[in-house]
Amino acid sequence: MPALAELVLEEEKDVTEKVEYVSGKVFFTTCSDLNMLKKLKSAERLFLLIKKLFPFTASSSKGKILNEVQQLVNNDPRSWLDAISTWKNLLKLGVREELSQRDAKPPKRKMRENETIIAKKLKTEEIQKIEENHRECQLEEQTEDTLEQRDSTTRRDKLEKEEIQKEVEKAAGAHSQEDLTFRVSCRCTGTIGKVFTSQEVGRIIGIALMKQFGWKADLRNPNLEIFVHLNDIYTVAGIPMFRAPLASRTYIKTAGLRSTIAWAMASLAEIKVGTFVLDPMCGLGTILLEAAKEWPDGYYVGADVSDSQLLGAWDNLKAAGLNDKIELLKVSAIELPLPSESIDIIISDIPFGKKFKLGKDIKTILQEMERVLHVGGTIVLLLSKDHHRLLKDCGGSHMPLDSKGTHANEPGIKKCLNPEEKTDTSERVTSSYEAGNRECSDKMLPFGSLVPVECYEVSLGKTNAFICKYKKSSASGP
Amino acid sequence: MKLLTHNLLSSHVRGVGPRGFPLRLQATEVRVNPVEFNPDFVARMIPKVEWAALLEAADTLHLAEVPRAPTEGYEHDEDFLRKMHHVLLEVEVLEGTLQCPESGRLFPISRGIPNMLLNDEETET
Repeated sequence: MPALAELVLEEEKDVTEKVEYVSGKVFFTTCSDLNMLKKLKSAERLFLLIKKLFPFTASSSKGKILNEVQQLVNNDPRSWLDAISTWKNLLKLGVREELSQRDAKPPKRKMRENETIIAKKLKTEEIQKIEENHRECQLEEQTEDTLEQRDSTTRRDKLEKEEIQKEVEKAAGAHSQEDLTFRVSCRCTGTIGKVFTSQEVGRIIGIALMKQFGWKADLRNPNLEIFVHLNDIYTVAGIPMFRAPLASRTYIKTAGLRSTIAWAMASLAEIKVGTFVLDPMCGLGTILLEAAKEWPDGYYVGADVSDSQLLGAWDNLKAAGLNDKIELLKVSAIELPLPSESIDIIISDIPFGKKFKLGKDIKTILQEMERVLHVGGTIVLLLSKDHHRLLKDCGGSHMPLDSKGTHANEPGIKKCLNPEEKTDTSERVTSSYEAGNRECSDKMLPFGSLVPVECYEVSLGKTNAFICKYKKSSASGP
Repeated sequence: MKLLTHNLLSSHVRGVGPRGFPLRLQATEVRVNPVEFNPDFVARMIPKVEWAALLEAADTLHLAEVPRAPTEGYEHDEDFLRKMHHVLLEVEVLEGTLQCPESGRLFPISRGIPNMLLNDEETET
């Protein structure tokens, strides 16, 4: 998923070096502190790397593999201890930052403090962190479960800070390495997953760690969480840096769409000051929330047909304090009560599943989206595999042109009440097709003016989907 | 529903076309919220505003001090921008109706959310 790796780079622009992207994880080094990293929006979780190796050869005997797993711990205990002291340092730094912020110390002083610590860190050890793009629910007690009951974001923010403090206390509480309590969460996939269960491997590592360092296992409330992932591409061990996944936002009460995806879509959309951004099937409003939080200068409008979804969205907006930035409408995406060419950006999660039949409904929705969009406007959609394939296939064989040309022949006009646009819509689809001089990319939508810009496959956990970006060009051609 | 949103909405009842704009506003409950003033944002909205529609709506709500048209060099006219900011973003219609000027069809506004769903006979497609 190179796109997300790019987004991570974007976010961490000034301080990231050595980025490597492998199968859903982005490995990078940085000198940012925890608070900066906490703000990463495109990643699900953040880990501090302990070890990254080539995959274990699953073809060897079971005993041999078990041995290799144990060697993970025993071969190089130093790297484990180093990682753990880095982890402790990071947490301490995080809290110190919080405290100094709260005391409103002059910023200059804070900077200096950070600088020396960072310099020291870089000298003594290279910090490598992993990010993971898939959701992996290894943490048994998600603190966000209790947090979801709270209404106000400030309370939630405070709790997050308290969480970090607790972590530090726990880390500090383990004065010597021997006092540390730990838990191993393991995931085995690929060929090795067929030989061993995740629990088996986890147990072996746990025992090896206990023997090597004298730590005590605590499954309920350990100081330290170790995360291990074995698959066909790598063997990776790391320490999760935050209790709740990064994807669980303090400002979203009930998430619909995964917030990392929502944020990624919003960033592709190029939202600027004063842009009208529409989500014609907003559901609980996740996309608009992510967008409005990061780009507060747009004008956001969400629409849905369902009362319960709109209520949920309204709750989310209230909890996030974004009522003023996002307007809600009860309207149908098939028929938007908006004049043509009145919207700058459309971002939407096209519903998957059987309720939305492939064919008629999705085409009508796209037609409406195209109609209300300004020339030069952007559409970013999340499409299921089926929808994506449908649009690809339809677009490949022909390229319908707007035969009347009335719809988009006035690119300069911002709001165009075209008297013929209602009749146009049905005509456009059945109009004569011309093989134009224009190059027809095989992903072209069957609507003359929407030009595909980029398309990314993303993982939603159990399934994959596509984020597709289009721009509306003037249909009158080059 | 803010007046900036009202300024965008148009009736899509069958056969109405552009005569479905603007929707006639009737309000039974209105609230004024303070909203952070962002002059850049407001300045960019001005060219997109349909003035007649805005003035009609503002009059219905008996709003005072509504500029009748953009002033020369409005981008730097803070007084003008603040007034527009107030009209467009700070006035919220919580309960009321929107009426299609051509067909007379009423669309209710409830809890600040306009309901513009049509039944099958009324839709175009």
